[in-house]
Amino acid sequence: MSDPILVAENLSLSFGEVRALDGVDVTIEAGEIRCLAGENGSGKSTFVKIVSGVYVPSQGTVTVGGAPLTHHDPREAISAGVQVIYQDLSLFDHLSVAENIAINVMLHEGTRYVRRSRMHAIAREQLERMGVELPLDEPVGSLSMANKQLVAIARALSMDAKVLFMDEPTTAITTKEVDRLLTIVQDLKARGLSIVFISHKLDEVFEIADTITIFRDGRKVGDFPASELDNDSLSFHMTGREVLHKPYEREPRDDDGASTPLLQITNLTKEPHYRDVSLEVRPGDVVGLTGLLGAGRTELALSLFGLNRPESGTVTVQGSKVDIREPWDAIDLGIALVPENRALQGLFSSTSIGKNISSTRLDALLTKLRLVDGKAERELAHRTVHEAGVNNKNIDALVGNLSGGNAQKVVIGKWMATEPTVFILDSPTVGIDIGSKAEIYDRIHELARSGKGVILISDEPDEILVNCNKVLVMHEGDVIARYDDADRKAPDFKERLAKVISDPQSVRAAHQGAA
Amino acid sequence: MKKISPFQAVMHRRATTMEKYLTVIIIVYVAVVSIKNPLFFTAETAFDMVRSGSGTMLLALGVLLVLVSGGIDVSFPAVAVVSAYLAILTVDRTGIDSLWLALAVSIAIGILLGAFNALLIHFLKLPTLIVTLGTGSVFHGLMAVVFGTDDFTTGEMPQSLLDFGNASLMTVTDAATGQRYSLTIFLPIVILAIVGVWFLLNRTMLGRSIYAIGSNEESASRLGVSLLRTKLFIYTFVGGMAGLMGIILFSELKNANPTATLIGSELMVIAAVVIGGAKLTGGEGTVLGTILGVVTIQLFQQTLVLLGLSTLWSQVFFGSVLLFSLAVMYRRQRLADRRNLVFTAA
Repeated sequence: MSDPILVAENLSLSFGEVRALDGVDVTIEAGEIRCLAGENGSGKSTFVKIVSGVYVPSQGTVTVGGAPLTHHDPREAISAGVQVIYQDLSLFDHLSVAENIAINVMLHEGTRYVRRSRMHAIAREQLERMGVELPLDEPVGSLSMANKQLVAIARALSMDAKVLFMDEPTTAITTKEVDRLLTIVQDLKARGLSIVFISHKLDEVFEIADTITIFRDGRKVGDFPASELDNDSLSFHMTGREVLHKPYEREPRDDDGASTPLLQITNLTKEPHYRDVSLEVRPGDVVGLTGLLGAGRTELALSLFGLNRPESGTVTVQGSKVDIREPWDAIDLGIALVPENRALQGLFSSTSIGKNISSTRLDALLTKLRLVDGKAERELAHRTVHEAGVNNKNIDALVGNLSGGNAQKVVIGKWMATEPTVFILDSPTVGIDIGSKAEIYDRIHELARSGKGVILISDEPDEILVNCNKVLVMHEGDVIARYDDADRKAPDFKERLAKVISDPQSVRAAHQGAA
Repeated sequence: MKKISPFQAVMHRRATTMEKYLTVIIIVYVAVVSIKNPLFFTAETAFDMVRSGSGTMLLALGVLLVLVSGGIDVSFPAVAVVSAYLAILTVDRTGIDSLWLALAVSIAIGILLGAFNALLIHFLKLPTLIVTLGTGSVFHGLMAVVFGTDDFTTGEMPQSLLDFGNASLMTVTDAATGQRYSLTIFLPIVILAIVGVWFLLNRTMLGRSIYAIGSNEESASRLGVSLLRTKLFIYTFVGGMAGLMGIILFSELKNANPTATLIGSELMVIAAVVIGGAKLTGGEGTVLGTILGVVTIQLFQQTLVLLGLSTLWSQVFFGSVLLFSLAVMYRRQRLADRRNLVFTAA
């Protein structure tokens, strides 16, 4: 065995009282794929920032390729061969693909005059190494997320990287794109490059990782062979406790026979997003909507919230036919939506928690003079942060400073405050730690038990399984499978669901065979 | 094979939307004016436009750099007046009646004041608009306090500057009236500045770093682009340009007033650069677009008379073109976003 590429020994770092990292040892071999897992605040990001020279450790050493880092600045780490691709990718949207890839090399060579031919040569060399083709003169801003990621990887490789860290690389790209990414990663590994993924959920990257290093509360829990971990054991190691999600049970209701559904959609169509979608939400229903990226789930949810007007078909709310043209139509009808992109669409990041919460209820908070009643606003905000279990109870704190889980609790809380009859949640637990996840599930169950309806959009079969009593699987705009409560209780349901989601063609073929 | 236009072959890029819009607007306007009034296509019109547009063009090039980097500068009119007035004062007091001395002093003071802006922006981490609004006000106010209305009249102006203002590359004599029109010496200076800024922005690492900073400052600094050094360059460059422009301005006016009000002109210059396609959010902007923007302003200011309209209309025309073209551009973007179900503001 050759020497390890990166050795971190006894790394510690404190921020004030908080011990962000406490005596961590990590060794990464050449040509290894490693995964760093842990909840928010577990120390994995701090670890990466020390190794890449952004933070200076209060104790411990980092050795890259046999030589210890002494200055702890990013330039030193980069020349030693450490490259980090952050989740935001750090690209320049206005500059061309070629320039984005070549800028690193040119900056470090001290280039003064830019030649387009040289820029193209650097970019082409890196892209060829990865075996991909991209339009070199296009501005990066016009590329898809997956292609942006490839540009970021090409740029990292251009600096002679020995070990490449990638922060949550698969959250924003489709399954097909993930496959392409993983192929490229395997290929890089075969050439002796080490790749370290940072992730907090069991997903595709775990499958190709050799070893998974788990962090919790600033310490390393241990190194585990990827093959020995499953969802439950990973959760256990990450949280230090057994996390059990109790599946949702819809109890039979007295009015089941007679009542009209809360929401009924019939043959709803909006090309090219989705077509002929029918579904029914009765009191107490949690309807799961799943499928690969591009299935049309989010587009359907936006239609129900007045942001993507359908072309044909009908929507009926509590028995009467409705035309939802704008979000406030939806709100008046008692429909609420937790959008897919929390930071950009769900919150006013630079305003306080309290103002975010009251934003959905301002109509109900008016005094006789039609001014906002400050006292009532604060009361509502206080009540909501407590009910929603936001960790920061100071309603004047900025929402932008909350962690993902707590920010999502604010989003859910502000919509709960409108007392919706149909609550649509689009991928509500993406990027959220396990503890907050369980609390969000509890709230969904609670709402459904009180006789309201929920539509839950999710990628994860596990999430669908513990929350929904009805499931629709979509693919490229079509509903390709439906399951009811009885299906769900079958012991092999999770496997069946996962298969339908990942291989929709099989169901389509079966349908065509039957027809 | 992909088809490549001649423009693309030379510039290695496609023309931006705003460049296309402006070109069309300019062609249509020129066609209308020349049909209405044959006097349009004369040396007089062309020479007048060059003379009055030179200062604006120099300032616009400086502003382009600032906008590309994601900042904004409103202090340059004050910087121009301070630098040029102090330069003329220096020439007057030392008795060395030299254009070169005046230019050197004026540009040096412009650079100094620009560096002051850059340091405040970098270390106070304040928005660039606030900093330059403040410094511009201070520079302008100090001139009024120290020098009052103590201006240099035409008789008191250094001879070298008066000569500079009158110097011409060529002279055309109108056969009918016997009047002589001259093409100002400012033209080669402006052309040199245009070529220089184009080269800087497109062919040097420094220029590309300015685009990178404007595109994403955080990412640029992660890659090792020095924010302090780049910003120092940008704001000293605008300062230097303002210093040069100040001398040109006073030479052309043939007097120098310490409180000469260029106020209001800064927004006109910024508007010219914006209409040329530079975004206030940074990362975008081209030299060609800036030239077209300045030409549009100059056309309206100099040639509306030929249509029988007072020059007061020029602001109305320019404002309308600005609103119309940007509205069309942003609306197209918004519709595209809406179709793709993107609901975030660009």
